[in-house]
Amino acid sequence: MQEHELWFTALLNDHLAGVGDSILSWVGVHAENPARPWSNFIAMEILVAVVIVVAFAWLRPRLSVDRPGKVQHCFEVTYLFLRGTAEDVLGPPSHAYMAYFGTIFIFILFSNLLGVIPTFESPTMFAAVPLGCALATFFYYNLMGFREHGVGRYLKHFAGPMPLLAPLMVPIELISHMSRPLSLTIRLYANMYAGEQVTLAFIGLVPLVIPVAFMGLHVFVAFLQAFVFMLLTMVYVAGAVEHEH
Amino acid sequence: MNAKRALLLLALLALAAPVFAQGQAPAAQSNTHWIWITSGFAMAIASAVCGLAQAKAVASACEGMARNPGAAAPIRFALILGLALIESLALYTLVIILLQVRAA
Repeated sequence: MQEHELWFTALLNDHLAGVGDSILSWVGVHAENPARPWSNFIAMEILVAVVIVVAFAWLRPRLSVDRPGKVQHCFEVTYLFLRGTAEDVLGPPSHAYMAYFGTIFIFILFSNLLGVIPTFESPTMFAAVPLGCALATFFYYNLMGFREHGVGRYLKHFAGPMPLLAPLMVPIELISHMSRPLSLTIRLYANMYAGEQVTLAFIGLVPLVIPVAFMGLHVFVAFLQAFVFMLLTMVYVAGAVEHEH
Repeated sequence: MNAKRALLLLALLALAAPVFAQGQAPAAQSNTHWIWITSGFAMAIASAVCGLAQAKAVASACEGMARNPGAAAPIRFALILGLALIESLALYTLVIILLQVRAA
């Protein structure tokens, strides 16, 4: 079922179809329709990445210690909020991981909010995008655990506090670790998809005024889900790098 | 040593692979659309229990904030985190319903 193509996706397909086909062939995948390889969610993700890069490239020269402007204040508030949350969860070592936390928050937030603008769709509404973010988080927190403890000691933590409990603890720990990317994915995907479907359902029922309430709820949920994703990332990184007494 | 034995035991689970080779279930021939009926009940039960759990969380958070207004910020933080995690359980049901409806 060919879904409706957005104007941005059509733009990419019209001009960069060859590029799309060659990128897919690097990983051995063949598009269903080689003339139009770009799908909606990839195009929207690229748009989000471009918007983020342009926004921060625009911001960087305007930062000033002595005379901060209004935009700088806005970004400072956001950054201090993220920094404060990270310090609540991780403590002093949080500054080493702020880059990933901030990036995942901003990316998911912009992706979620992109769907509110007409003629765009949230890339997080398609199951592949939250899965990508969740897998990135999964690899990130395990890599941070390996970096902090070394591979052997980090894996030994799966055996639990006592060697006697290991046959019980290892399956439990493995299952709980495997369930983390699953729950991250489903939480983000279902919230975004359901928010859009509820708005569409109410537009079908009462075309005026009432759907605005549900769109407002969807925007609130967009912020909340980006924050919860980042918060759970912080909790998982904290669990991976903490030193037990 | 015990961790090694535990991992070897887990590797034996790979012998269970033939389970995946079970045949396709025969398609239902009746006119009753069971998917629609069960999905309604499933979502209702999931939403109801999720609502009860979130009500309990909010009630405890409000009481905590009333007893100790100075600790309102950490309590609010824990509340938001708890609500999002409880919400996600109801959403798992929704995702299963969406998958079933798409497959049917």
